[in-house]
Amino acid sequence: MFSERELERYKRQMMLFGEEGQERLKKAHIFIAGAGGLGSPISIYLAVAGVGTITIVDMDVVDLTNLNRQVLHFDRDIGKKKTASAEDKLQALNPDITVNAIDVKIDESNAVKLVGKADGIVDAMDNFKTRYLLNNAAIANEIPFFHGGIRGFYGQATTIIPGTTPCLKCIFPKAPPKEVFPVVGVTPGIIGTIQANEVIKYLIGSGELLTNRLFIWDGMQAHAEELGVERNPACEACSGMTTKKTTARKK
Amino acid sequence: MQWYDNKENNSEKEMTVKIRFFARFRELLGTDIVIDVAAATMFTHLITTIARKNPEGYAAIFDENGTFHEFVILMKNGKRIELTDAATTPVADGDEIAVFPPVAGG
Repeated sequence: MFSERELERYKRQMMLFGEEGQERLKKAHIFIAGAGGLGSPISIYLAVAGVGTITIVDMDVVDLTNLNRQVLHFDRDIGKKKTASAEDKLQALNPDITVNAIDVKIDESNAVKLVGKADGIVDAMDNFKTRYLLNNAAIANEIPFFHGGIRGFYGQATTIIPGTTPCLKCIFPKAPPKEVFPVVGVTPGIIGTIQANEVIKYLIGSGELLTNRLFIWDGMQAHAEELGVERNPACEACSGMTTKKTTARKK
Repeated sequence: MQWYDNKENNSEKEMTVKIRFFARFRELLGTDIVIDVAAATMFTHLITTIARKNPEGYAAIFDENGTFHEFVILMKNGKRIELTDAATTPVADGDEIAVFPPVAGG
């Protein structure tokens, strides 16, 4: 049930997917791994869309060099924990949702536990090592993993439904070397909103997900394209899973 | 494929392929490179030849032994080519080849 306030708040999007779709968003719990460049637009748009419970995890402190892209954090937040800053902003944007901000490093020992009963994991990480852990957690819990990655003016995104689509390891079996990557804020803005859009479609159970396709964005050319991707039958992460028919959340 | 079959009888057996680089590779080497190659040209040979035009581009894709960096993704007409097979996989006329790195930032 929605309050009068909520009905008013979500009025314009309920024109698209009705009270039923809004109810699905409200009942959902989404896990966002990272409160940085990608995590900012992802969490902002999922919060204002009314995703009922958002867990956002980060281990860093806001640094001045973050502020060209991490729009969740303000100049006054420099030195603050990103989780504290994220919680403040997301609750200020939408007091009608629940935000759990967890200040921890995601590692092998805690990944599955942190994800808990979430309905989906959104990848807002800056390294493949942690992405692979999240990929494994999504496979273990049989929940979708919304991948995004950026560098400079380039970005990529895909939606992974374990057992149905290729997993992150099928597509990218080996991590690129770690680096201090160049980036301008618009790139995570574009890729992050694509990821948030995927989450919303998945939760309301409509539309065509970005599954079996790697979306590739070249901001310099203003050109987007996609490459078909396939499961690797020998994938070390997901090869044991049987193919399922569902690609969207059950109604 | 009919076109390719017809060309089988052509003694020169020259073929045209298109190479598409992405992200950092694109910055260093350009993209949508259409090139004529001899029959039985192998993937690794083709990409090595093109990458050599820019030492930085070459170093982004290959290590000092001339082997692909392990994170490089190779695709032929939307299908993945394993790096270990690239040296022995010939390209075919009309192939569209994609070469890209995962982008890791967030």
